Amino acid sequence: MTGARRGRGLLAASMVAALVLSACGGGGDGDRRDAAPDGIDRSGLGAAGSAKDPDREGPVEIDGAREGGTVRVLSADGLNSMDPSEAYFLNTLSILGGLVTRSLTQYTYDEETGDMVLVPDLATDLGTSNADYTEWTFTIRGGVKWENGREVTAEDVRYGILRSFDRSTFPGGAAYSNDYFLDGDKYKGPYRSGTGYAGVVVDGNRLTLKMERPFPDLPYWAAFPAMGPVPAGEDAPETYLRHPWATGPYMFDDYVPEKSLTLVRNPHWDPATDPARTQYPDRYEFAFQVPATQVDQVLLNDQGDGERTLTYDDVLAENFRTFQDEHPDRLELGPQPCTTYWAPDYRKVTDKRVRQALAYAYPYRDAALAAGQIENVTRVWGENLMPPGIPGRTEYSLLDTAPGETDPAAARRLLEEVDAVGYEIRWLFRGDDPLDVATKDVVVRALRDVGFTPRPVATTVADYSTERRDPDSEVNLRAAGWCSDWPSGGSWIPPVLESSDLDEEGLGSNYAAFSEPDVDRRIREVVMLPTEQQPAAWNDLGRHVAETYFPLFVIGYGGVAHAHGSKVMGHRVDGTLGMPTYKTIWLDD
Amino acid sequence: MSTTADLERLAEDLAAEARPDRAGTGVSPHRTALRRLRSDPVAVVSGAVVLVLVLLGLLAPLVTSLWGIHATVGHPDAPRPSEVLLFDGYPAVGPPYEPFTWQHPLGLAPRTGVDNLATLLYGLRTSLGVAVVATVLTTLVGVGVGLVAGFVGGRTDRVVSFVIDLFLSFPFLLGALALAPIVVSRFSTDPDGLALAQVVALVAVLVTFGWMGLARLIRGQVLSLREREFVQAAVVMGLSTRHILLKELLPNLVAPIVVAVSLSVPAFVAAEAGLSYLGIGLTGVPSLGQTINQAVDSFERYPLYLWAPVLTVMVLVLALNLLGDAVRDAFDPRTRR
Repeated sequence: MTGARRGRGLLAASMVAALVLSACGGGGDGDRRDAAPDGIDRSGLGAAGSAKDPDREGPVEIDGAREGGTVRVLSADGLNSMDPSEAYFLNTLSILGGLVTRSLTQYTYDEETGDMVLVPDLATDLGTSNADYTEWTFTIRGGVKWENGREVTAEDVRYGILRSFDRSTFPGGAAYSNDYFLDGDKYKGPYRSGTGYAGVVVDGNRLTLKMERPFPDLPYWAAFPAMGPVPAGEDAPETYLRHPWATGPYMFDDYVPEKSLTLVRNPHWDPATDPARTQYPDRYEFAFQVPATQVDQVLLNDQGDGERTLTYDDVLAENFRTFQDEHPDRLELGPQPCTTYWAPDYRKVTDKRVRQALAYAYPYRDAALAAGQIENVTRVWGENLMPPGIPGRTEYSLLDTAPGETDPAAARRLLEEVDAVGYEIRWLFRGDDPLDVATKDVVVRALRDVGFTPRPVATTVADYSTERRDPDSEVNLRAAGWCSDWPSGGSWIPPVLESSDLDEEGLGSNYAAFSEPDVDRRIREVVMLPTEQQPAAWNDLGRHVAETYFPLFVIGYGGVAHAHGSKVMGHRVDGTLGMPTYKTIWLDD
Repeated sequence: MSTTADLERLAEDLAAEARPDRAGTGVSPHRTALRRLRSDPVAVVSGAVVLVLVLLGLLAPLVTSLWGIHATVGHPDAPRPSEVLLFDGYPAVGPPYEPFTWQHPLGLAPRTGVDNLATLLYGLRTSLGVAVVATVLTTLVGVGVGLVAGFVGGRTDRVVSFVIDLFLSFPFLLGALALAPIVVSRFSTDPDGLALAQVVALVAVLVTFGWMGLARLIRGQVLSLREREFVQAAVVMGLSTRHILLKELLPNLVAPIVVAVSLSVPAFVAAEAGLSYLGIGLTGVPSLGQTINQAVDSFERYPLYLWAPVLTVMVLVLALNLLGDAVRDAFDPRTRR
C-alpha cells in the first residue's frame, strides 16, 4: 500500500478506453483544444480489476497467435531488485509476475472488459478463509516444475513466503506479511529467525496462512512475486536477485543489472498448469536506461527490430499526437491505479474552508501541462480519492466546479469569508527537477492570484520523500501520490486516512496527518464486513470523510500511454500496474 | 620622463614607417588600425550585427514589455499555460499548428507557454553578459600574469609557466562536469541562490580554464619588449616596476590584447551555450543553450522552437568571430591587403 515505494518515476495514471481514444485521433482543423482525448466511458470502470475467477484453468490459447521471434522492450528507467521477495516496482513486478515467477494467485487480462481478473496460479483456487479472514488455506497444484525440472512443492512456496518477512535483507519489498501475518512484527525471515515459523503451515499440498488480524484482501497480496516459491538452499540474497529460479514460461538468460535482461523459454513450464500465462515469443530482450527520446524514435520509425519492440514508458507528450494521428493502432492507453492529491496538514490548516479554497484555486490544467501530463490520458480528472477501477467506486462531486476546473473567484470568496486572505501555504518542490520547478511556478501564481501567500520550499529529488515524511517539518501542505497495490478500497482509505502514531511511526502514508477518531472507528468496522459488502462501504466512507472533513483534494488520476511496434500483438495495459500484459503478447512475424 | 615619452613616440614612428600603409605616417598605430577596420566591409557588417544583437540583449526588458511578451510563466501578465497550449502541450497560437502571429513571432514554448522571443532576448542577454564578464576577467588575469612572468623572469617566470602548463593540461569539460552537481546540491534548497551560483560558477569555470592562452601570449611579448631600448632606459632611470609594467609595457601590448579579447568573446558565448545544453551550465535563468536542449525533444513537430536559438547562437558567434578576425588583421602590420 505504498505509493512512493512503487517507483513513482514509472508512473502517471488514468482509465481510458483505447478505442475511444483512437477514434478521437486527428482532431480536425477546428479548435485543437477540443482534440484532447475525451469522452471516456467511466460507467464500466467501477468493476475493473474487481473480477475474480477462482475456477480458471490452463492452458491459455490465443486465437491466431504465432510462436517465435524476439520481443524487445525499451525503457528509460533502470531496473531495481529482481529478487521476488523484494520486487516492488511496477516494472519488476510486471516482468517477474508476467513472465518468470509464479505466485499463489495471478491476474489475467479480460479482452472483453479490458479489466484484470484475479485467477489462480500455483494454488488451485483463490484460497478459502475462515469467517473473520484470519486463516487462509490454499492447495498447491501438482505438475509445476522449476526451470531445472525439479517439482515445485508446498514447502518451496512456504519458504518463499517466509522470505517475504525479512525487512532488513529486502528493505525495498512490500511489508504486508509483516503487517497482517501472525507475529509478523516479530518473525524476521529464514535468515535471521530460522524456518520454524508457525504462521505458515504445510500439510501435504495444503498451505495454511495464519493472520494476526483480519486480512480479507489476502488473495490479492498472494499475487505478488513475494508470495511464490523460492528454492531453499539456492537463494543466497546477494546472488538470487541476479537469477531468480523460473517457474513461469521464461527464465533468465543474460542479466546486466540496471542495463539489460534477456529471457528465454523455460522448457519445464507446462501450459496446462497455468491459467493465464502464454509462451509465444522465443525470447524477450529488455534494454533499460535508454533515453526517452530514443525510445520514442525507435517506435515511431517502426523499422527492423523496431517492429518487434514495445515500451512500458509513456510516450513523450511531444510525440503523443504523432502516435495518436498516424499510428493509433500502436498506441496503448490504459489505466494506472494512482491518485495525485494535495494534502494540507490537518493539524495546521485547520479550517475546512481554507482547504476548499485551495481546491478551487489549484491550477489543474496549467500544472498538468507544465508537468508534461496529457489531459485525459496520463492525467484524468476526478474528485474521489479512489481512482477508477477500484470496486465500489462512484463518481461524486465535492466542489461547485467540474473536476479539473479552477475557480479563482470561489477560492477568493472562501478566503475572505474566513478572513484568511494572505494565508501562507508552504510545500516542498524538487529544485533539481525541471518539470517540478515549472509546476511550482504555475501553482505559485495561481495561489497568489486568489489571495494565498505561496511559499514553496525547495528540496532535491534525493531528499524529497524523506523530507515529506517528516511530520514536524515547516510545510503545512504536502503534494502526494498514492497507487493501490490491488483493486480494493482497503488499499486506499486506511493507508491514506487512518490516524497514524506521529511520534512512533511518523506520517506513514497519511500525508495530511488526518486524524478523526470517528473515521478510525468506521475503518475498523468496514474491515470486519463480509467481502462482498466492503467495496461499497469503502466508497461510502471515503465520501463521508471528504464531505465532512475535506482533508485533501484530488488533482487527478494516472494513466499510461505505451507504444509498440507493428508486429507486436496482444500488448494491452494491465490496469493493476499500468504495465504491459506480458501474458498475452505474441509476434505477428 | 620626457625622454621615455620621446623614445616611445620614436618607436611608434618607426613602426609606422615600417608599414606599407604610407598614408598612416604620423598617425598612432591604433588609429591606423581603426581606420583599416572601418574600410573593411566584413568588419563593418559583422560589427553592425553584433551591435544589433548586443542592443537587443541589453534592451530585452524594454523590448519584451513593449511587445507584451514574458520570459517567465510566473509573471502576473503572462498567459496561463492552459490558455495558450493544446492538450499535448503544443501552443494553440502560432507555430507549429496555427499560422504566424505578430503577437508571438517565434511562437510559444511547449508545456509552459512562455514566449520564445522573450526567452531568446533574455538568453542573448545572459550569453553576452557571461561572455563579457568572463572575457574581462580572463583578460585581467592573463595580462597580469603574463606581464609579471615576462618582466620579472627567472624563477618567477619558471613557476608561472609551470602553473600555466598545469592549467592547460587540466581538461576543461571535466572540471565543468564535476563542478555543476556540487553547485546544484549546495544550493538545492535556495532556487534564487542557485540561479546566481550557477552564473558565478559558470563564469568561474570559464575564467579558470580560459586565462592561460593570453598569459602565454603576453609573456612572450613582454620577453621581447623587455630588451628594447625604451624599457632598458626606464630601468636605468630607476622607475618603479609598476610604472614600467603599466606605463611602458602595457601600451605596447594593446594590439594583442584587443585581438585576444575579440576572439575570446565568441568562444565564451559558444562555451556557455554548450555547457547549458549539456545541463551543466545555467538552468535558473533563460539561456540559449538550455532552450536548445529543451527544444530537441519536439524538433520533429516544432522545428522553429529549435532553429531560433540555434541560428541566434550561430549568427552571434559567427559575427563575433569575423569581427575578431578583422580586428586582428587591422592590428597586425604584417597583413597586406
